[in-house]
This record gives sequence, C-alpha cells and structure tokens, in this order.
Amino acid sequence: MWLWFSKLGSPKWFYELSGKWLPWLAAGMSLLLIVGIIWALLFVPPDYQQGDTIRIMYVHVPFASISLAFFPLMAVAGTITLVWRMKLADMVAKTAAPLGAWFTALALASGSIWGSDIWGTWWIWDGRLTSMLLQFFLLVGVISLRSALEDADAAAKACALLSIVGCINVFVIKYSVDWWNTLHQPSGSFSLSDEAPNPPEVWVPLVIMIVAVYLFFVVSLILSTRNEILERERRSQWVQELIGAN
Amino acid sequence: MTAQTVTTFQAFKATLKRDLLIAYKRKNDMVNPFMFFLIVASLFPIGISPDPDRLAEIASGVLWISALLASLLAMDNLFRSDYEDGSLEQLLLSPHPLYFLVLAKNISHWLVSGLPVALVSPLVAYMLNLPGESYFTLFITLLIGTPVLSLLGSIGVALTVGLGSRGLILAVITLPMSVPVLIAGTLTVQQTLNGASLAGYLAILAAMLFAAVSFAPLASAAALRISVK
Amino acid sequence: MVEVETDLEASMLCVDSLFCERDDRILFEDLNFELKEGQVLQIKGSNGSGKTTLLRNICGLNVGYEGAISWYGDPIKECHEEFYSSLVYIGHRVGVNKVLTPLENLRWSSSLQQVITDDELLDALEKVGLRGYEGSQCFTLSAGQQQRVSLSKLLLSKAKLWVLDEPFTTLDAAGVKQLETLLKTHAGNGGAVMVTTHHTLSVPNLQVLELG
Repeated sequence: MWLWFSKLGSPKWFYELSGKWLPWLAAGMSLLLIVGIIWALLFVPPDYQQGDTIRIMYVHVPFASISLAFFPLMAVAGTITLVWRMKLADMVAKTAAPLGAWFTALALASGSIWGSDIWGTWWIWDGRLTSMLLQFFLLVGVISLRSALEDADAAAKACALLSIVGCINVFVIKYSVDWWNTLHQPSGSFSLSDEAPNPPEVWVPLVIMIVAVYLFFVVSLILSTRNEILERERRSQWVQELIGAN
Repeated sequence: MTAQTVTTFQAFKATLKRDLLIAYKRKNDMVNPFMFFLIVASLFPIGISPDPDRLAEIASGVLWISALLASLLAMDNLFRSDYEDGSLEQLLLSPHPLYFLVLAKNISHWLVSGLPVALVSPLVAYMLNLPGESYFTLFITLLIGTPVLSLLGSIGVALTVGLGSRGLILAVITLPMSVPVLIAGTLTVQQTLNGASLAGYLAILAAMLFAAVSFAPLASAAALRISVK
Repeated sequence: MVEVETDLEASMLCVDSLFCERDDRILFEDLNFELKEGQVLQIKGSNGSGKTTLLRNICGLNVGYEGAISWYGDPIKECHEEFYSSLVYIGHRVGVNKVLTPLENLRWSSSLQQVITDDELLDALEKVGLRGYEGSQCFTLSAGQQQRVSLSKLLLSKAKLWVLDEPFTTLDAAGVKQLETLLKTHAGNGGAVMVTTHHTLSVPNLQVLELG
C-alpha cells in the first residue's frame, strides 16, 4: 500500500502512466463529445415549453455539475500536500484551480445565456447562480494567493490550507445561499422546470455529454499537470533525457 | 529547572494584555476602522436615496456590509507588525498551544475593532431609519457576527502576512468566506421586522460563532506556521 | 548512538543527516553535528550559505528540511513542549515591538516561558544598560538598544539552549563584550549556544561549524 502510494506520488511515474492513458482518454472524449453534441443539437426533440433553448442544457448541466467537484478535489489534494508532502498532489491542485475557475465561468455563462431566454434576463440572484458566483470568487482567491506567494513551498501549503477552508466554506455558502434565497424569492416563479420524467431521448444525450465533459476535464487536468511536472522537474535527469530524446 | 513554568492560561492573558496595550498606544489603528464604518454607512443614503422608506428597507444590509468592510480594513494590522518586528516568531516558539495565543490575539483585535462597531450600530441604524424594534436585534447580531468575521479574516491575514502588498488579495480571499455570516445577520434583522420568532436565527449565528471559535484559530495557527519560515 | 553514563556533558541536540534546499539550490546536505551541554557552537559561512535557515530548521520555524533533529534523544516534534520551554531564539528581527516600552516588551516575551516579577525585569534591563529607557517607546531607541532589549531576555531566561542569529551586528564594543560574558556564563552553567556570527568569539569550549 505504502509503496504504491509513494510510487503514485512520483511525478515521473505519473508522467509516464498518464502518457499511456492520454490517447485513449482523448479519443473517448472526442467520440463522446461529437456524438453528444450532434445528438443534442440535431436529434433531440424541442422542449414543449422552451423550444430549442433546451439544447443549452446539454452544455450547461455538465459544466455546472463538474464545477462542484473542484473544491473537494483541491481540498483532498491539499490534505495530501499538507500531511504527506506529496509534490504531485500540489501540482494537481495548482493546475486544478484555474481550470476550476474556467469551468465555473463557463457554467455561469452558459446558464446566463439559457436564463436570458427562459427567464427573460441574463442574471437573477437565484440560489444556484449566487453560490456558483461565490465559488468562482473563492477560486480566484486561491489562484491569486498562489501567484502572490513567491516561495513555491509556502505557496503550496498556503493554497492547500485555503482550499480546505474554502471547501468547507463552499458547503456553508451553498446552504446559506439556499436559505437566503428561499426567504427572498417568491417561490416557483424562477425555478427550473422539474416536471414530468424526461424520456430517454432527452436524458441519454445529456448523460453522454456529462461523461464527455468529465473526460474533457480529466484530459485537461492531466495535460496541464504534465506541463507543470516538466516545469518543476526541469533540472531532473529524466526530464533532461526526455527533452534530449525529442 | 527552577523557574516557575507558565500555564497556557497565563500566556493567553499576557498576550491578550500586550495586544490591548499596543492597540491603546496606537489609537489610530483603533479609531480608523470605526470611522470607516461610520463613513461607509453614511455613503449609502447619499448614493442611493435619502428617502426614509427606502433607507428603512436597506438599512440592515447597509449596516452589515459596512461592518464587514470595516472588519476587513481592520484585519490587516492583526499580525503585520508582529511579523515585521519578529514577535510572531516568538509567539510560534512558545511552548504553549498556538491555538490559544492566536485566539488571544483575535479576541483583543475584536475588542478594539468589532465591538465598537457593534456598540455604535444603533445610532447609525437610527440615522438610516431602521425601524425601532429591530435596533436590539441588529446590535445582538453584530455582537455575535463581528467576532466570526474577525476569526475568518484572521485566516486570510495569516496566509498573506508575508506578502508586501496584500490589501486586495486579503479582500478577495476573505469577503466570499464572510457571505454566510452576512446572510445570517441580515436575515435575522429582517425577521424582527416581520415580527417572527428569532430563536432559530440567533441559534444559527451562535452556531457559526461556536464553529469559528473552535476551528478558525487552528487554521490561522497553521497558516502562520506556513507564512513564517 | 551510545552515550557513556559517566559522561558529564550530555548530548543536548543532535542533528542527523540534515538536508535543505531552497529554490532548487542545495543549502546543505548530510549535515551532522552534536551539541553538548556547556558548548558554544559558532556557525560560519558566506552570505546565502544557509546559516539562518539552519537555525530556523533547528527551532522548527522552517520545516522544509529532511533529516532528523533530536533533543536529548527524542525527535523535536515529539517533545514539543519540553523543547520550546528550553529554547530562546533571537533572530534578525529581534521581536521588539516599536510602540511598547522595553519593559513591556520584555514582560511579554519572558512571560511566554516563565513567571517573572517586574523587579527582575528592571534588573535585567539595568544590566544591559537600558536603565532610564524602560519607559520610552522602542521606536525612540537605536537598533543597538533594541538588540539589547532582546538580549536582556537571555539574562532572565532559564532556557538551556540559546539560538542566536547575528546577535553582535548592531552592538557596540561594550555590548559585544557583555554578550560574550553572557555566553560564557551560560555555557559554564551547562547551557548550550548556537550562534551565527563573523565575529571571532573568545569563549572556552567553542566549536565551529563551517557551512557552504
């Protein structure tokens, strides 16, 4: 177990293994993405209420659902950084923060476009939107703390701690914003339509898109982590050999 | 060793006393956040509308946001001078659990920055035409809420204490974290205006305070150990 | 490690294969030394050779090292309270608050480790030549005088290990002499000192560690 764990923490090992997986993951991602998008755009029947606008859901829901994974991911990576001082965990955490900010921003943007049609406004202080916006701010905080601290080791630990605190905070924010929202919002007027169970031709492409976006996330995370590994290990022998070989 | 050793409580008291003494000697640091609170709160009627009815509607939010900003402004000098003159190292090297020493600093900091804001809030509430029956609720929510803001802010300060210019980054880190307190505080005040029971709302605020007192100093202490090296 | 029972000078601090790097540059590696009761260890080395880092590693302020540091045979992480009760550290930043008076500064920093009366505090300030300044705020004092405030802590402390980072830099000739005497007395009482300085120390039982 420990051997496996320390091996997993070795950037070189991760670099080699991820290099083997990457083509498969990328291929799977491309395939699902193409199938999902074509299906969602061309073959899904228009919603009886929202018409063609419903197609935005196939972009928005995957991005929104994965955005929620970033703080837990960074908190776990942060705990590993603080407790076991594993370098790889910090590299993942470092690359996850900007990715998370992008995904959250995309979720907000796609949600806002969707809202502009079904709600008639680009922005409302809906519970989901508000807590997503606050999560975006917290992610920006982690990124700016990372860039402000010059010492790499201190930055790693500080961001790890902030991610853990932030992760707890994201949950508290989520609950408090929901609470705030239910007390402020005239109920029902702006809620998403959650009526009748959707037929399979609606949800199957959604599942495909969710899996595709998850793969997209994994591929981006692996790519940027590999980049970070090369950057940080640039003086090590194996990176020198790798560069020499190419 | 013949020297009588110090209990953690004595070290806690000594640190609390020292910080209060420093605050007393640097009256500017003490008065500025307080003045800032008054000024920000009085900008809202000027910027929005002097209409008493509209003011009454936004008063609780205005007071809470002003208190939040004042607390943020005051946070910066919580650990800074200690970091610069090396006292923070002495704090970290004491044999006592850092949790209690950080808590002592937090308490002293709140006494000179948060408490005055809570105390003067009814006066500002009057100026903003907040309905009379909610003065007391406002005061109580600020009394419970401002220490939570200080405790949360302390984590951000501890993380950024080694940075040269940290004013804005501190705000970016701290303000989103303070949102739950802001929500709980303003909702409680509005609840009074609706004439509903407060017990549940105050319990939530109290729970936040309890959680913050228990965990925030631990996080601040860990952050200080990271920042000082 | 076998310690002979009859050996009067017990090994206080033991550093075993210490390794520390900063920004991909190795400051020191495989550093081993031992500090016994009654010893003064002078750490020398050019600028940037890691003297301060070594001291901060020992104190636990900087934990970015590999290797083992033990206090009377126990790793310092496992005897936290004992170790910090026996340690005085004075760094570049001497830990003197500018708005407080020397007396108030000394009162707080000493009170983290021991119960002490104001008479003892005043006595210590008198010995380092700050009598008459005990009521002035420290920003009115010179750098050397502020250094003396922090050194007065050494007079009061019962701690066994002193870790001093460049304590001589701002002191005048009389101050230097006094500090040397202090170090001698401390070592004579079974204490130990780690000190970085370029100054030639005239104390008995001096060990020198060259870094870089």
